[in-house]
Amino acid sequence: MFILNPQSGIPIYRQILEQVRRMVASGQLPPGTALPSVRDLALRHTINPMTISRAYSILETEGLLERHRGRPMTVASQARNHSQLPKRLQQIGPLVEQTVMAAKQLQLTEAELVKTVRREWEQNDE
Amino acid sequence: MKAVARLVWTYFTGTLVSRVFTSGGLILMTVDFCILITQPRSGEKLWLAMLGIIIFFVGSSLMPLMFGRLARGHSAGVLPGGRFKLLLSAYITILLVAIPVGVLAPAGTLSGDSSIPELMKDPRIRDYVLQLVGIVFTSAVLFAGWMYLAMWFVTSQRNMAGLFKGLLVITLVIFAPAREIRDLTVSLTWNLQQIAVIWSVFGAGFLLWPRFKAARARRNRERFTGVARALAGKTAGREFDVMLGTSNPLLLLVALAFPLLVATRFVGEFPAVWLYFLTFCCVLTGAYSSLAAERSRALWLRGDWSRSALFASVERSVWRHNSVVLGVLLLAMVGIGEYAHFSARMLLASLPLLALGTLLSTYLGLMITRGLRWLEIGYAIAVMLMLLFMVRLVARENADLGNVFALELGLVALAFLLRFIARRRWTQIDWMMCRSGRLVAARDA
Amino acid sequence: MNSSTVEASKLSKAFGNKQVLQDMSFGVSPGDVIGVLGKNGAGKTTLLELMLGFTPPTGGAVRIFGHESYSLPGSIKARVGFVPQQDELLDQLTVADQLRVIASFYPRWDSALITRLCEEWGVNLYARIKSMSVGERQKLSILLAFGHRPELLILDEPVASLDPIARRQFLEQLLSISADGERSIVFSSHIVSDIERLANRIWILKEGRLDWQGDLDSLKESIVRLHIRGAGAELPAMAIPGVLSLQRDGAFATAVVRDWTPEVQDALEKSASVQIEVEALGLEEIFVELHR
Repeated sequence: MFILNPQSGIPIYRQILEQVRRMVASGQLPPGTALPSVRDLALRHTINPMTISRAYSILETEGLLERHRGRPMTVASQARNHSQLPKRLQQIGPLVEQTVMAAKQLQLTEAELVKTVRREWEQNDE
Repeated sequence: MKAVARLVWTYFTGTLVSRVFTSGGLILMTVDFCILITQPRSGEKLWLAMLGIIIFFVGSSLMPLMFGRLARGHSAGVLPGGRFKLLLSAYITILLVAIPVGVLAPAGTLSGDSSIPELMKDPRIRDYVLQLVGIVFTSAVLFAGWMYLAMWFVTSQRNMAGLFKGLLVITLVIFAPAREIRDLTVSLTWNLQQIAVIWSVFGAGFLLWPRFKAARARRNRERFTGVARALAGKTAGREFDVMLGTSNPLLLLVALAFPLLVATRFVGEFPAVWLYFLTFCCVLTGAYSSLAAERSRALWLRGDWSRSALFASVERSVWRHNSVVLGVLLLAMVGIGEYAHFSARMLLASLPLLALGTLLSTYLGLMITRGLRWLEIGYAIAVMLMLLFMVRLVARENADLGNVFALELGLVALAFLLRFIARRRWTQIDWMMCRSGRLVAARDA
Repeated sequence: MNSSTVEASKLSKAFGNKQVLQDMSFGVSPGDVIGVLGKNGAGKTTLLELMLGFTPPTGGAVRIFGHESYSLPGSIKARVGFVPQQDELLDQLTVADQLRVIASFYPRWDSALITRLCEEWGVNLYARIKSMSVGERQKLSILLAFGHRPELLILDEPVASLDPIARRQFLEQLLSISADGERSIVFSSHIVSDIERLANRIWILKEGRLDWQGDLDSLKESIVRLHIRGAGAELPAMAIPGVLSLQRDGAFATAVVRDWTPEVQDALEKSASVQIEVEALGLEEIFVELHR
């Protein structure tokens, strides 16, 4: 599944991170796919399992992978969406820029703006 | 049976060299036989016969080599009755080599006398001649057997142990019959008994060897695959000795035996033999013990010994080994005392000296925990000189036993001192400094 | 970090007036696989043998499972395995005999494991040791250290004489040993690719000191090669923190630095108005650069 090069200057865990992120974004790893266990991967590539489990942990924190007790880790169902996070942030960027410029012109502090945004966020939830 | 015949034929004619020697020997012997029965008796003609016999014997020297190879190979086990046929071929070869001796020797003794045919009509003389032939033949059988055995050891083992074993056998073979002949203890019945015993023991051992090896391998496999060992940290004596190199006193004894025998035969005069004995047992047992420090390295992580407990165990193990060697040497000393007619008081003074030599050299060896430096060499030379001085003292006929014993007690005290030093060094043993070679490696690693 | 397996503080060792190791402080935790790198003469063997109590330290202390190495009790020794650089095999024994002799010293010996490994690694049980090749002897030395399932395994150049296939088999076995996360392995090797596969922590020994002690991943992220491009024709003078080597070529420069972080990169780019491209280095390159 992965192409890992222990001799590369890029640490192995980072290689796994990048490859998993890429494969999830491109749809090669659809949500629900089971990933090879740490032990399997370690033995297949003859590399230290700690570096693999570090990668898996980071990916789990990022929300790309889900951990299941007694079963191998799987690609999270929200993964597709999460991987588009940078893009979505990019989309909202101009609006945020406008809001910030306006707030500064009105001589509002950052804290006051954040308070307003938060109030709006909570109101929207209802 | 055809296989046996073919084997024997190959022993004598297998290579060009053996063909040359076999045929050359046969020709010589035949020529000499003719000369012996037609010409007057004379010594030189007997030498020619002997030469022929020796050449013929050399022609058959393929036998021990092939015997060893075939015995070890698979064919002996696979062919029906393979081992038995091999054994038979060896025995037949021995007989074949002995026959010329049995024929030529009496021919040499009785030759050239025109009255022989008349004398032969007398039954008693016939019996005597037959006895003679029998004795010579059986002695030749025995002798040839031992020579082949020695050659087998030397060619099959191809290391120092094999060479020593072979030389030991040859030495025994040369000296024992010589003694028998000198003391006129040789007889036909005794020879036949020897042949019967030796051949049956060897034959039985040879035929049963594969079964023994299989049983041993099976036992190894069983012990090896799966039975949990219930040893609690300490070890059974043997493995410890194996690691330390002290499990087999025989090696040292064999190394000592050959030069000892040579010394007793050729040196003879006892002060020299003494020196030889003592120097030898000192150097060798001390050399053996000096390996202990280096080899104990592998034991450090294997058992519950502190360094001082390790010294105690090593000391015990070294003595288990050296005491056997010392025991044999003491017996040999008594034997040689008999042989060279030592006086009782000399024996009394000398036996403790042997023990002292071993004692001192053992602890000298154990003291070597940092490689052989000038200090240790100095100690060793000093101790050797002291021992040599003692030897000269004891060897003098008018030696005062009181003095001798006092000095020997002094040496005992020295041994205690050496032991004290050895033990103190072992409690601080640093295995990175044990061997001078290792020290260099340590510096570079 | 739980240093319960091995712990050393200000460890130093001198032979006569030659100082081999100085001021070494380190720890080994359960589950660590530590690769020890260093030039010949850097003191790798001395370090490993100090850890096991073969030789006393001249300064500082080192402990295994809480006990001083120089006077390890038997209970701790049974939890430690060692493969020395020069094998301690007995030439006149067969492989089976040698295994049996060593096994007899341990109350727990996994014969099933050893038998299986002998088969997998092609070690002939009934061969005589004196007739074995260097590689076979090394395999046997390794097996002798595995049999009692030690919790701490220390290996001094264990694969120097093994062919790539044998090395791979050995690595796989080490991995499965350390897989449970409770056992620790410390091994020194010249074969950097093996260390890159196996180790999670690296110790780099240089002139008797621990020049680097930490995760392999952090090491690779921390020591990098920078390709620096200046705006003008000539690159301005810069103070590059942690520089190991520097080569200027007009508007370009190549530098190998240690303790690299993105913040340092930002600071440097701003202060000197340069563009920096970071090249990650493999372990062998890192080792070479550290010794320039």
